Amino acid sequence: MNHLARTIVTGAVCAVLGSGVTGWLVHTDGRARGRSLSLASLSALPPEGAPARVPLGDLAGAAKATMPGRLANPLESDPGAVVEGERLYKEMNCAGCHGYAAKGGMGPDLTDAHWRYGGTPVQIYKSIYEGRPKGMPAWGRALPQRSIWQLTRYIETLGGSFPTEAYHAGLQGDLADERGAGSSKSPAHGDSGEGAGGDK
Amino acid sequence: MASASGNATSRSGLIVAAAVGSIFPLIGGYAAYTAYSNPAPAAAAPPTSLTGATADFAPNDPPGEWKSPARDYANTRYSPLRQVDRSNVARLKVAWTFSDGTLYGHEGPPLVVGDTMYVVSPYPNVAYALDLSKPGAPIKWTYDPKTSPIALGKACCDAVLRGWAYADGKLIYNLLDAHTIALDAETGKEVWRTKLADVEKGVTMTMAAFVAGDKVLVGNSGGEMGVSGWLAALDVATGKLLWRAYGIGPDTMTRIGPDFRPYYPWMRGKDLGVKTWPAGMWKTGAAATWGFVSYDPKTNLVFYGTSNPGPRVPDQRPGDNLWTSAVFARDADTGMAKWAYQYTPHDQWDYDGVNEHMLLNIPWKGVRRDVAVHFDRNGFAYTIDRNSGEVLVAAQYAYQNWADGIDLGTGRPIVRAAMEPKIGQKLQRVCPPDIGTKDWQPPAFSPRTGLVYTGIFNLCMDLTDHAVSYIPGTPYDGMEMVRYPASGDDWGGFIAWDPVHGRKLWQIPEKFMVMSGTLATAGDVVFYGTVDGWFRAVDAWTGKVLWSQKLSSGIVSQPISYTGPDGRQYVAVFAGVGGAAMVSADQPGFPARGGTLYVFSIDGASPGSGPGMMVTAAGAAASQSDETQKGRH
Ligand code: HEC
Repeated sequence: MNHLARTIVTGAVCAVLGSGVTGWLVHTDGRARGRSLSLASLSALPPEGAPARVPLGDLAGAAKATMPGRLANPLESDPGAVVEGERLYKEMNCAGCHGYAAKGGMGPDLTDAHWRYGGTPVQIYKSIYEGRPKGMPAWGRALPQRSIWQLTRYIETLGGSFPTEAYHAGLQGDLADERGAGSSKSPAHGDSGEGAGGDK
Repeated sequence: MASASGNATSRSGLIVAAAVGSIFPLIGGYAAYTAYSNPAPAAAAPPTSLTGATADFAPNDPPGEWKSPARDYANTRYSPLRQVDRSNVARLKVAWTFSDGTLYGHEGPPLVVGDTMYVVSPYPNVAYALDLSKPGAPIKWTYDPKTSPIALGKACCDAVLRGWAYADGKLIYNLLDAHTIALDAETGKEVWRTKLADVEKGVTMTMAAFVAGDKVLVGNSGGEMGVSGWLAALDVATGKLLWRAYGIGPDTMTRIGPDFRPYYPWMRGKDLGVKTWPAGMWKTGAAATWGFVSYDPKTNLVFYGTSNPGPRVPDQRPGDNLWTSAVFARDADTGMAKWAYQYTPHDQWDYDGVNEHMLLNIPWKGVRRDVAVHFDRNGFAYTIDRNSGEVLVAAQYAYQNWADGIDLGTGRPIVRAAMEPKIGQKLQRVCPPDIGTKDWQPPAFSPRTGLVYTGIFNLCMDLTDHAVSYIPGTPYDGMEMVRYPASGDDWGGFIAWDPVHGRKLWQIPEKFMVMSGTLATAGDVVFYGTVDGWFRAVDAWTGKVLWSQKLSSGIVSQPISYTGPDGRQYVAVFAGVGGAAMVSADQPGFPARGGTLYVFSIDGASPGSGPGMMVTAAGAAASQSDETQKGRH
């Protein structure tokens, strides 16, 4: 049995290592026989500081042209990122809180167009990295940045996320129409200032 | 059976598949409910109990008061009030209502002590005292304990609270963030606050604190988070921790000593809370305690159930996994275990054993036996000798297909191998699902009919298990489920049960889950509510629905009855859907959340309503939660 438990953890660890990142240190607690798992970073993947400068909500004295909210997912065109992200989603127990279908449970639905903390890639990244006060744990210490961008990629494919350039449209409530939301579904949404979902 | 009573003659119209004491998989669905044509004779001869079951109603509070969720130590939820009876219950109307301003599942009951009603909300666990002697029952005081919002993401099944207790001039309750507090009932000021666990590790507290003598008993939730489960005794006066008994681990932790005598040999031995697990796995093995506690003052024993094992995926923890999904009888003073019984060894479906143990006394083969009646989530209702732990009756009360019965020789279920999940394989149609044939929603007992009444579920699941690792503060779970009705469209029902013979006397089918507590009264009416918001009163003898009222949200709380300062009998219940009922949230007609207390009386009469201008003499303002903007000043 112990070997089974260990296998499971090894699996999780491999998932992280298998993501192609080098320079990550993986700690497992030997005594705990695979019950616990922690990861720590030795080096940072760029762009480390950029998401931190993206505000959680809107900006006082708004100067939207200078808003760094348009940070794209650096793994946007990495075909393996979604698969890895889905694997991590299960192995890091995201599924336990948000559901295996990400339709919500102890944590909110991640497939719909309602986002408490924003639905663009960088906003999703920040929610995972920083955690959120009503019971969303912060993963920035346990997971390498690359894994968090992979998780973000996976969530982006679930249908509810907003395109990178829709940062302000999302904040202003212009993307709440579920039919119009989602980066793949509505490339027209952007921060053009015209908003979206005018047919509501 | 009960042909003794004149009232019982009409039982011929009942739907019950006569499945006496045996397995009756009603695959074709429950027959439609047939309403009774012949009403019960009014003021007939004194009724004869259908089963001979009785109860000890200690602490024998005044009939018009309601000081603990189940009203008495035995957990009967029986009100001796009889102004409202079968002849006039259809005249019930709303007397007044009260919103507590919160929207998580409202699973708790109000309490009534003297002229004051006390209500406590789900998270953020705000308490109110309402003055029943004044028009409109104004707020006397309100208290917001500022519960940590982190707890919202750790509570598996909504940010609920299943009630609280009044004792020694204090209101004692658990906060979702794993603290227990006591408030001065007069002033609403906090008297003590005891931290029981670290919410960051996934421990929350949702159960109703239970007072036995000078001790308050509290336990933890978190069976899905790989916590260690426990029951703790605190001093009512100071909140000081007196003892804590775990549901897993070595005998020192589980408080098992030389006095421990389980009835069945397979539960005897040293450190079984360690040895029935793969090495070390017990440490994250759960056995949490979030159901109701009962107490027998005669033997000074408390009875409570333990939760599922962690992780929920059974392939990862071969063994019986003691003492999960089990019942403990413990000495209230020392916490030392007297006996235990595991309902579902190596629980593979998250059936738990947390449901209440109602303490009744029954005639059994010519002698009186003191028993505990327990409706397990696994589909079987158990009648257990509460002094020895011997199972006298284990009979199916709702649809299940995972077991061929309970072997009364060994006390073990006869598990169907085909229903055992394997990691990565989708198992179709396992019944019931994780939340069982009945979840925490507590039943009621009437000593007049001798019957036990409870809301049930009629559900199955498709189950896929996934391997999981333990990551502190995240779920240690692994069950992926789709849940649906076992037959037809009926997600629930309401039943009357004979705990002596293990048979169902009648069942009212319900389109929605019935996840409310039950209230039985001396007026021979039994009250329950549905997840779509119908509050009903039924004839305790026949199951005929006598009155129904639609409320603003689904009912998953616990109805109570009390006498107002005006001498009238009232019935009170919260509407506020949530909790495990949210598994059916996509069902057409599923209501929005709410948080309103409804108080009913005959014709809606109360000193606080009627013709003319009513003036409220208020004592305090309501609490505005942190999500509420108070507006511009
Ligand atoms: C212990 C339960 C839990 C776990 C584990 C968990 N989450 Fe969450 N998550 C939550 C809760 C609760 C919230 C809402 C927090 C709030 O509103 O403050 C949330 C919020 C989020 C949000 C923001 C949603 C929004 O509407 O803005 C994202 C994105 C998210 N989680 C992704 C993840 C990912 C990816 C993982 C796994 C690496 C994960 N979560 C693990 C409970 C959890």
